Amino acid sequence: MIECPSCGKRQEPLLTCAECGSPLAAPLDCFAALGFPRKLTIDLDALERRYHELSRKLHPDRFAAKGPKVRDASLRATATLTRSYRTLRDPVARGLYWLELKGEKLADNNKRVPPEVAELVFEVQEQLAEMQLASDPEAAHELATEVTARRVELQFTMDERLAELELHFAKWDEPADEKMLTLELKTILSNIAYLRTLIRDVDRALENAKAA
Amino acid sequence: MARIFGIDLGTTNSLIAAMEAGEPRVIAVGENASALLPSVVAIAPDGAVTVGARAIAMEPHLTVERDGRVSAVGFAGGEYGAVIRSVKRYMGLGGDEVAPEDRARYTFADLTGPVVRFQIGKRVFMPAQISAEILRVLKDGAERALGNGEKVDRVVITVPAYFNDGQRQATRDAGRLAGLDVVRLVNEPTAASLAYGLNQMATGNVAVFDFGGGTFDISILSIKEGIFEVLATNGDTHLGGDDIDRALVDWLLAEMPDALKLDRHVWNSARMAAEDAKKNLTDVTETEVVVELPGHSIRKHLTRAALEQIAAPFIARTLKRCELAIADAKLTPESIDAVVLVGGSTRMPLVRNRVAEMFHKEPLCSIDPDQVVALGAAVQASVLMGNQGDMLLLDVVPLSLGIETMGGVMERLIHRNTTIPTSVAEGFTTAVDNQTHVDIHVLQGERELAKDCRSLARFKLGPIQSQPAGVPRFEVTFLIDANGILNVNARDERTGREHSVDVKPSYGLTDDEIERMLEEAIDLGEQDLEERLLISARNDAEQILGALRKQLGEYGALVSPGERARMDEVAVRLDAARKGTDRDLIAKLVENLNEVTTPFAERIMDAAIKLALEKKSVEELS
Repeated sequence: MIECPSCGKRQEPLLTCAECGSPLAAPLDCFAALGFPRKLTIDLDALERRYHELSRKLHPDRFAAKGPKVRDASLRATATLTRSYRTLRDPVARGLYWLELKGEKLADNNKRVPPEVAELVFEVQEQLAEMQLASDPEAAHELATEVTARRVELQFTMDERLAELELHFAKWDEPADEKMLTLELKTILSNIAYLRTLIRDVDRALENAKAA
Repeated sequence: MARIFGIDLGTTNSLIAAMEAGEPRVIAVGENASALLPSVVAIAPDGAVTVGARAIAMEPHLTVERDGRVSAVGFAGGEYGAVIRSVKRYMGLGGDEVAPEDRARYTFADLTGPVVRFQIGKRVFMPAQISAEILRVLKDGAERALGNGEKVDRVVITVPAYFNDGQRQATRDAGRLAGLDVVRLVNEPTAASLAYGLNQMATGNVAVFDFGGGTFDISILSIKEGIFEVLATNGDTHLGGDDIDRALVDWLLAEMPDALKLDRHVWNSARMAAEDAKKNLTDVTETEVVVELPGHSIRKHLTRAALEQIAAPFIARTLKRCELAIADAKLTPESIDAVVLVGGSTRMPLVRNRVAEMFHKEPLCSIDPDQVVALGAAVQASVLMGNQGDMLLLDVVPLSLGIETMGGVMERLIHRNTTIPTSVAEGFTTAVDNQTHVDIHVLQGERELAKDCRSLARFKLGPIQSQPAGVPRFEVTFLIDANGILNVNARDERTGREHSVDVKPSYGLTDDEIERMLEEAIDLGEQDLEERLLISARNDAEQILGALRKQLGEYGALVSPGERARMDEVAVRLDAARKGTDRDLIAKLVENLNEVTTPFAERIMDAAIKLALEKKSVEELS
């Protein structure tokens, strides 16, 4: 139970007071903060509408003339709201957060790097090293072109994984075998994590090559 | 509720605006009924302050007298008093962050402390204090212009979107030092979007390209049903028209000896000529740039094409920032519906063309680019007063925030372009038995290593009662408020009690220092205008008398006995007058003394330049 700083009503945690509508600095999970059911599939348009609607009610700009307690509650409630929106809007962040809510960690029972991913990482890293070490400008240019093509490929793979994630969200919302599905979710999420790191490394290497 | 005013505290010009009958309007505070107050502050050796156009006249420069002679005038810095221009460049900077070329421009007190300090006369001034003088003139000027007894107490102040925490804090400190309640800091490009959004853009993705005198920002917003949501921002807080002017000065003075390039009178005259030439070339395609030195004049022909060649690298840097912001917003240039130009530097045709090429559309500039930020600040002030219906601004933090972890690595807790306000909670514990406190180093920036990021603050959690390692548990909440400023609090997880956090900002001032400066400022605030003018006249007198004494000591041989007698006569009368209260008499005698000493000052300048040129030719021969 928390107490509203405006009207003093004690109530279940929410972002706005049930009595007077003032912001409340309640500790809430991301789904509860936005008033969405704890499901992996989310209608992003509806999420954005809710976010805007709650922002209008909670944002510190609305309470500039109020006392410090209400202003502080507005600040904290808005911080919770924006963090929650950011987490749920992004499918990967949402998936990771969902695991966290289930008390699962991405690394638990998921330490093994899938061989095809390991191979890809190895190949790309080697390609990057080659590009960085190239001394002949013509060869360096050629290698950079190859890496740029690789970057496009990686993005394509990433888009595929993200689509796969979205497709499976629906299934995971009503799992027949929760344990197995959690594992499946972890596999896709860690594949995405590997890809993300790889893409970041490629971008950085290309940036350096461009600067040189 | 009392009105909230909007202030654009710019690098080159500052403005104040407010809503009038539902429309934002700038308030004329300048001497010639202009809304633009040049952000130039002159400080006499004993601290008397002049702001705006009159301060520009006091900048060290060379001037051609009616008889054709060239003389050096103005506060030359340090003990002679100084004229600070573009003080915004120094806001929130540590002494060690002052660029080498800036060290020649001003006299600094010491460059080791956490705050830049200008040495002027016997006193030191921090950038926040100098900015406060600009704010004070805006406040007084607006109150005078309103003329109905309405006070300017509560304000919104705009800052570059890419300002870091320290730069934002320094801006807020400046407001407090000027006796203002800074209700909110608003990012300049976002403010501009509000000014446009009021009636011209309904919905869509908008890019705001804000290229001012000293800073560059690019912000990408999504506007939907009155919600202005910033998707990404990028920029450079040390990239602006000033940099183009400086590059032009280098070109102008390229053939001059180093001693002359470093001379504040010569350099500043060249800067003025460069700035004028740059502005002229917006409308014409070629111009003459002339700098008159005693016995020598620099005369160069500048075409628009040549200017563009000099300016191109700076514009390229702005475009690179645009690419990054568009990528962070997960958009493409084609998916941006409108581009808005803000800031005086966007008047350059080259800037307009490059921006149009990049975004594949003609940029909008229907609102005066010098005024649009102040107008937007007034709109945001109105939002804060609850007068703008559903209009709401959701801005972002421009730089990632994190802490230093093992091995000097920066661990990101809040990523750049996260909507603010936002918070993140992080758990901390002790590493060894009976540890009495935990040190936390907060950083801001995008680099991997702590040493490459900017240190924001250090916190000490403690004292902690002696316990085995890992037993004490603290939850530290890092909260970035709607101003983009970090707040920290810590909670003991076991007892649930709030824990004290001892904050040491790495740069900038502590709250205690601000309090002390405010107490000192109250003494000044109570003096009425007449008294201030008298003090200012006395300061002028002291300055000219002091300078004359010094010059006579060094260059006494350049004065004839008759001249010397005339100077002494006026000097003695001025010295007596400055002890009295007749302000007009002091001003008149200062003018007289200026007249009788001008030929002398010219001879000194002549001698210095001859010496420099001779030295150069010797160097060239050897």
